[in-house]
Parts: sequence; structure tokens; C-alpha cells
Amino acid sequence: MSVLETYSHISSSPIFVSSQAPDIPEMGGFVLFSGIVRNLNEGKKVTHLEYEAYTPMADEMIRGILEDARKKWDLLHANCIHRVGKLEISEIAVIVETGSIHRAEAYESNRYIIDRVKHEVPIWKREFYLDGSSEWSKGCVHESH
Amino acid sequence: MDIQLLFFAAVKDHFPDLKKIEVSEGDSIYHLRKILTHTNPGSESILKVSRFAVNQSIVGDDFILREGSIVAVLPPSSGG
Repeated sequence: MSVLETYSHISSSPIFVSSQAPDIPEMGGFVLFSGIVRNLNEGKKVTHLEYEAYTPMADEMIRGILEDARKKWDLLHANCIHRVGKLEISEIAVIVETGSIHRAEAYESNRYIIDRVKHEVPIWKREFYLDGSSEWSKGCVHESH
Repeated sequence: MDIQLLFFAAVKDHFPDLKKIEVSEGDSIYHLRKILTHTNPGSESILKVSRFAVNQSIVGDDFILREGSIVAVLPPSSGG
């Protein structure tokens, strides 16, 4: 009997954010970052995106990055979920959640996690443009986006 | 000996049907990169900036391939 593998950090279903923070009594700061599909890149009008991943490896690498963040900061909560498949404009491509006693750790660790996910994890973005063409993203060249 | 290949994203444009390749005993990732470039010279620039993973772990150029290794060619990531 074959069992479908499930991955905690890679999802082919839409990601929705809740206004409810995780229920952790000690937590005083909770940061939620979401990366959104936008309709413009480098002056070209984008109609939609497709994300592809080497899923088992990407899932494991995100797990490792979250573990590293927990070692560097005193976190009460850390999670990251990345979408794969076709995404429309304004859909959420990735979320990173971090929670800690004070806000500083939550902010710093959140940035650390998303930066490493963007640079290291085998996930690729293909942009589809209004003129019918499409292109694989060349990788992370814009650090602050 | 044969190794298995997995291509992703932009690399798939260059090697759509190549799932298996024969390498020599003692060949490393460095040699594999050469073989792939030779197979399809148009892939040189993307292969230069791609990472290689063997059985889901990133490896360096000096990693020695073994029979049945599953090698993934990973162009620069662009998640997020």
C-alpha cells in the first residue's frame, strides 16, 4: 500500500494567515512575514507564477533552518511554509512565523529564516508575463525584496 | 556505472529527457559537470552556477559518485 508523503513546510494548497497568534502564554512578541505574488517584476507585467521545489529536500532544509534559528535565538515558536504550483497575483507564496518573549528575537530570527530560505532552499520561481512569455527567476539578486 | 539525474527549473530546459548517465568509477561532481556541459554546450552557464545534491545532500565538486547515486542539479534558488 502506498502512502502519500506529507511535508510540513511545502504546500500545494493556498496559505491563509490567521489574526490569531499561537497560544503560548510566555510569548510577548510574534512576527509574521508573508511573501506575496506581485504583478510586476523588473518592469514586466506578471500575470501569475509557478513555484517548483525539490520537495523532500526543500522540506528537510527548511526544517534545518528553523532548528538553526532556534539555536541562535530564544524562540517559543518558529514555522515556515512555502507554496508550490501555480499562484495568482496577491496569493501568499511563503510565510515565516516567529514568536519569543520579547520582540527583538522574533524580528531578527524571522529575517534570518526568510533570507536563508530564499537563498538556500531548492525552490524555483517561474514568472509568466502579460505578453505570453515566461522565465525562470535568475535567483536572489535583490536582497531586500 | 550508471547514476540517476534529477533536473529542476531552468536546467530542465537543457536536459529534458536525460534521466540516467554513465560515468566512470572514481568520477566526481566535477567530472559530471564536464560530461553534462559536453552533452549540451548551451547548458554551460547555468551549470556553472548550479549546486549539486547527491541523495538530497548538497555536495562539492570533489564528491565521488557511486553506482546508483541520485544526483540533483539545482540552479540558483529563488523561493520566497
